[in-house]
Amino acid sequence: MKQLMSHRWMLSVAVVAVALALPHLFKSPYYIHLMTLALIWVVLAQGQNLTQGFVGYVSIAQAGFMGIGAYISTLLTMKLGVSVWAMLVIAPLLTGVMAIVAGYPSLRVKGHYFSIVTLAYNMVIFIVLMTFSALTGGEAGIPDVPRPSELTIGGHVFSFEGRSNLNFYALALSAAVLATTCCAFVLHSRVGRVMLAIRQNEDLAEAMGVVTSRYKLFAFVMSSILAGLAGSLYAHYIGFLNPEPFGVDQSLNIILAVILGGSGTLSGPIVGAVSVTFLPELLRFADSFRLITYGLILVVATIFLPKGLVPLMATLWRRLRASQPMVAEHKPTSKA
Amino acid sequence: MNELLQQILNGLAIGSVYTLVALGLTVVFGILGIAHFAHGSLAMFGGYLTFVFSTSMGLSFFASIALAMPVGAVMGMLIERLAYRPVRDAPHINAFIIALGLTMMLEGGNLLLFGADQVIIQTPYQQVFDFGGIFVAQLRLVVIVTAVSLVAAVTWLLLKTKTGKSVRAVAQNRHAAVLMGVNVNFVSSVVFAISSALGVAAGALIGALLALAPGVGESFAVKGFAVLILGGLGSLPGAILGGLVLGVSESLAAGFLSSAYKDVISFLIMILVLLVMPQGLMGKK
Repeated sequence: MKQLMSHRWMLSVAVVAVALALPHLFKSPYYIHLMTLALIWVVLAQGQNLTQGFVGYVSIAQAGFMGIGAYISTLLTMKLGVSVWAMLVIAPLLTGVMAIVAGYPSLRVKGHYFSIVTLAYNMVIFIVLMTFSALTGGEAGIPDVPRPSELTIGGHVFSFEGRSNLNFYALALSAAVLATTCCAFVLHSRVGRVMLAIRQNEDLAEAMGVVTSRYKLFAFVMSSILAGLAGSLYAHYIGFLNPEPFGVDQSLNIILAVILGGSGTLSGPIVGAVSVTFLPELLRFADSFRLITYGLILVVATIFLPKGLVPLMATLWRRLRASQPMVAEHKPTSKA
Repeated sequence: MNELLQQILNGLAIGSVYTLVALGLTVVFGILGIAHFAHGSLAMFGGYLTFVFSTSMGLSFFASIALAMPVGAVMGMLIERLAYRPVRDAPHINAFIIALGLTMMLEGGNLLLFGADQVIIQTPYQQVFDFGGIFVAQLRLVVIVTAVSLVAAVTWLLLKTKTGKSVRAVAQNRHAAVLMGVNVNFVSSVVFAISSALGVAAGALIGALLALAPGVGESFAVKGFAVLILGGLGSLPGAILGGLVLGVSESLAAGFLSSAYKDVISFLIMILVLLVMPQGLMGKK
């Protein structure tokens, strides 16, 4: 087991190293832009996975909370002059506070009904962002959202201005690593085990004396904090903010990312976030059939690949290795 | 006072449409345990179909609805057979995610077939009656009467026919029903056919009363579920009461508070009900 853990560490370090090297291999600004977005999506999807994958409660409000983070961050930097760096910390926390208020009543209902209530939240958030235009600028949006200010570390000046900025890419990568690490810590802690127990059998967990509502609220709030972080990063990266990316459709996309990658795994949301960012670009040719194709992929994936891509690849990999008797000493684990 | 009665009456018209949507959702949920989120988008498809039948074929409003309903029923049966049945024994989340995928497909299909422009179904019911200072549009009355008769027809079907009996048997206890020789697959198909036909009718009424546009279906599905949560899961009287409560409160909110935030207010009511009575207004504990 220990050896397996160290393997996993090496794999994680390798993934980060590849992620750092990628923009130098693909110098095209378009790819760097997409990869930056994909990394922001990793933060979002890791958050979604906490509720959807670990606890088994599908929230359809993740994009709404991303929007709350984005707007809080933008409005406080632009109206009150708070620094962007401070907002990258404050906006997620304020989003978390909103999630406590929203999560308390909605977590009283189970299963589908929780999903529907969170969907209602997302609609409320969207309507408010659209209608309360004195503050949010409504549909026309807020232009010229500032980027983070320059950093000076050991005499080097790191600027975050300009499209497909490599320093911003690194910032997004650190956020993605931070989000994944936090989720890994939660998963391997007692709290994480309780969450998995709730997913498997909530009544039983309650009968064992676990106050499930606390753990569900914790997962929901942490998930929203990550959404807020993603929203803040997104706003300061894109530089223009309107309610459009924070509608219900986007929440569904985040669910798709988690399902496609493999819900309840740590690497699944990463694979899913990257696929969901690049898939629409690949499906450009489908044009007006894009929504249908997207829905079809979701339906077909749920029927035939209910566990997602990562567990599928893990199984294939194990089979491949099992055919070579030399290295078959590791016991296969069910968790990826 | 008149203003109040006026708003309540308007609320009853839209509330009866909510009831129709919720009724379709509640039979599916009560019998199969599926939160059939694509119901709203299917309803919109039905509304568009009614629009096409009435404009291009020159059929009357009700003849168009009568023609669109069986088409919707067949689509509902196909959806059940192809998308939901394969995941019947999987966790409920899977069925819900499939519902989301179906929603995307149906919304995409509607967009492709009928375009992104707002569509209003024209009806000949344009008179306005004056009952001692309260003005009642004929169209609203027609909507209420249509919805009431459809609800009555479905209730009769469920309570008085042999098929209805087997549907209720499966809802009460699936395993016992199977042991008594009830064909669960057939019941599932019937339930989806009824539910989708009701949805199509609701879509047509929405198209006449308000308008059909992309995204409207999703918001009606959410309203339908809000009604279910309000009324109590899987309860027929709950769906009827919940629909009317939601419609009236929304209409009062629009009339006396703010029309831009009427949806926000109706969702807040739903959340408040959840806080006070999580089992809904008519639900069992």
